[in-house]
Amino acid sequence: MQDRMTPMERLVAVLMGQKPDRVPVNPFILGFAAKICNLPVGDLYADPRKSFKAQLLCAEMYGYDATPMYGYASFGAWEFGGKVGMPYEPGQSAPYVIKHPVESAEDVDKLEVPDPRKAGSIPIAMEVGKLCHENRMPAVFQCGEVLTTAAMVAEPARLLNWMVRKPDVVHKLNKKIAEFFIEVAEYFTSTFGADGCMAFTGGPVESNKLISSKQFGEFVFPYMKQVHSKVLGMGVHTVLEHPCSDQNANLPYYVQLRKDLGWNGKYIWVFGPETPLEKQIECFGEHDVIMGNVDPPSFQFKSFEEVLALCKDNIERGIKNPSGYILGVGCELPPLAPPINVYALMKAAREFGRFQ
Amino acid sequence: MEKEGILKGLTEATIAGDVEKATSLANEAIKAGVDAYEAIMDGCARGMSIVSEKYEKGEMYVPEILCSAEAMYAAMDILRPHLKAERVGAPKKVVLGVVRGDIHDIGKNLVKLMMEAAGFQVIDLGRDVPSEKFVDVSVKEGAEIVGLSSLMTTSMVVMPEVIREIKKKSPKTATMVGGGPLSPELAKAYGADGYAKDASQAVKVAKSLISGVA
Repeated sequence: MQDRMTPMERLVAVLMGQKPDRVPVNPFILGFAAKICNLPVGDLYADPRKSFKAQLLCAEMYGYDATPMYGYASFGAWEFGGKVGMPYEPGQSAPYVIKHPVESAEDVDKLEVPDPRKAGSIPIAMEVGKLCHENRMPAVFQCGEVLTTAAMVAEPARLLNWMVRKPDVVHKLNKKIAEFFIEVAEYFTSTFGADGCMAFTGGPVESNKLISSKQFGEFVFPYMKQVHSKVLGMGVHTVLEHPCSDQNANLPYYVQLRKDLGWNGKYIWVFGPETPLEKQIECFGEHDVIMGNVDPPSFQFKSFEEVLALCKDNIERGIKNPSGYILGVGCELPPLAPPINVYALMKAAREFGRFQ
Repeated sequence: MEKEGILKGLTEATIAGDVEKATSLANEAIKAGVDAYEAIMDGCARGMSIVSEKYEKGEMYVPEILCSAEAMYAAMDILRPHLKAERVGAPKKVVLGVVRGDIHDIGKNLVKLMMEAAGFQVIDLGRDVPSEKFVDVSVKEGAEIVGLSSLMTTSMVVMPEVIREIKKKSPKTATMVGGGPLSPELAKAYGADGYAKDASQAVKVAKSLISGVA
């Protein structure tokens, strides 16, 4: 079946609350694009030109509706003066922390908010952003979540321990990280204009597999609200928000965030497969776009027919969202997924997600 | 303080993550002539078992568990030198590690904690562990169980190869796997003897495997 709209036309239609020709598809592909282009996954994170080209070619080949972007979960360690490794070894799929810049409460006191123009991976993200901008695509910048970033700066177990033993130190660190994210947003919006940017945020440390909703309320919500409020205030209209893993208990806070922000801007929610689409529609359906959350490991380990059935089910449930739906994956698509299983997303969108 | 009070106090201090109280009660246990093994098992380990149940029910989360671990280890550091060899016996050995290419070790560390609290001797290989090391150490140590952890779909694919090698070189060793992208179906497909969805399950699975291989 032929598509009648281009990916950008389709995405704009959804963001404007209109019906496109079919549901858009964003498979949350990063490392997989490198594999498809016969590149080491490390190049996707270390080389902005290769990263942009691989993501673009992969999207073109399948016909899905995502534009290239740059970001990763262990963001923060390098930017604040630590060291990361790029994923060039077997088994690795994203940059990983070699040295956390914070090892003690005193280190937090001494920690300086880095200049985003020079900090860690930001020059790479900026380069990818420039290539996107030249190709009339949004420049994506990472602006959270603050606690996940704090965990990368201070080492996850240490930070989680401090949440009980030294909460003031965690707050001090979170404040600096929130300040940094706001500066990153200012850097990108001043370079490309707010209309030319999209914010991306999310992280796994906020998951209720690690912290309680009460801890989310204390250590995440205030900083998330501060950063999002500033980003929207700069005129950025679209936020791609990925509450990673199981964050069901945090849902009331995400709803509160949107209420407190006056439901300004358009959020694209990418929850993990643990959060039912019906619940997401109930929480955000009147205002925001919901991106589907097909179980990521299924793409690597299930058959084409099984993945197709999962995508069909996701479309049938997600398409009921009154403010728009994108077929997607509940976290990054596994880089080792058989290529045919990514085609299942496209086939499902064209066969079961077509609008009259 | 009487023995029952000390044991109860150690349990409570572990649950509360109260290092000071755990340390003081461990010293008091020694002074009062409480058997160190009993103080560990009926005091600290009982506390950690309750912590594990609370985690399973969503009543405690990782930040509190890490503090409970601090309290438990603080008491155990004092009690261990007083253990009488005949009371301890030979603990069951578990080799534990995060597979090659993967550095996410919070889950593995929680499993280690729960297993040590349950009386297993854990040989922790750390993270990003080469496949051969799992095999070599399990053979050398005569491990009853090898536990493999992974949080990424790119790293977990080495598990079948590791499990195969362990089965070949140490047929009596049971294997178990866990981590975000794993499932009971995948564990079975990989040839693992057990699967634990989280740290609280890991001890139950390990105990069932031990009774199976004993």
